[in-house]
Amino acid sequence: MDRGIGSGGAFAWFFQRISGVFLLIALLAHFWVLHYSNNGDVTFNLVAQRLSTPLWKTIDLTFLVMAIIHGFYGFLMVIRDYVHNHNLRLVLVSLVWTVGIIVGVLGTLTIIAFKAPGGGGL
Amino acid sequence: MKITFKVYRFDPQSGKAPYLQDFPVEVTPGMTILDALGEIKAHQDGTLVYRRSCRSGICGSCAMKINGFNRLACETQALLLKQSVIHVEPLPGLKPIKDLAVDMEIFYEALARVKHWLINPDPPPTDKERYQSPEDFKKIEVSTSCILCASCTASCPSFWADKNYLGPAAILKAYRYSFDTRDKGFADRVGALDNKHGLWRCHTIMNCTDCCPKHINPTESICHLRRMTVENKY
Repeated sequence: MDRGIGSGGAFAWFFQRISGVFLLIALLAHFWVLHYSNNGDVTFNLVAQRLSTPLWKTIDLTFLVMAIIHGFYGFLMVIRDYVHNHNLRLVLVSLVWTVGIIVGVLGTLTIIAFKAPGGGGL
Repeated sequence: MKITFKVYRFDPQSGKAPYLQDFPVEVTPGMTILDALGEIKAHQDGTLVYRRSCRSGICGSCAMKINGFNRLACETQALLLKQSVIHVEPLPGLKPIKDLAVDMEIFYEALARVKHWLINPDPPPTDKERYQSPEDFKKIEVSTSCILCASCTASCPSFWADKNYLGPAAILKAYRYSFDTRDKGFADRVGALDNKHGLWRCHTIMNCTDCCPKHINPTESICHLRRMTVENKY
């Protein structure tokens, strides 16, 4: 019988809670900054200028990493719950990791490389 | 009042698929589902198989699915269900052996995995028992009233999906001993709890808490043990 001894899960569970709290606060902050801090006047230039600053790049990178880990760990949980075939599980877990890493790398490149049109920022 | 009992029938030796058989029973006030099954077995079909022992909600033998809800047959009065048809089926998620009797092997195996007994390497005092204050007992009192009827584990969708999952009953027992002030065995249990078939499979669906005939909250115990596991590791 597969008793799963030693495979753990404590850190993943704990980190899911931490990232969940972070995302809750970050999402509320995101809504406030985007929709209320400028009287609802959202323009491309405004967002571009903000995303060009090192502080916002750091905040968005953290947001991205936390959201990816939180979301893709959720996928892994569903696979662990319902997929008991070893080979199928290996394929699906590999797929989740691959897609997660691709999304993470693309998002990171986008944030780091972003420059506001007409100069300014990094 | 006449009530029709639709009882799950299954005989592996017959080669027939399981089916529901109708048994009309004249129900009197106070009559339980277990009384009705006894009536059916005595007067209508002696081949009906079900488990029972104490008939007073202590032994946990007669847990079954009654009108879609895991309950003790001996504690459920037929008239209080207010239905003219009552479905009686075996506990879900466990392999039926015959009619209403299910194979409890994986349920007991999960209990053994969490070492559901007091672990304390220190020798007990020679002149008295290991002392536990009434205040300390209060902390685990509710969890000590579990009668191992398996209603909770059999109601858990996480258990239905993963039969190696410990299930709420086994984790409740791990809680009962790990939070007992006389016990020092958490390190021996954590291997069974902190793994992919352990604590982390619970998704707080709370079916276990809804159906427990002793009004225990296994979900809360699982949450306490998760916190204890994380605190011990990090």
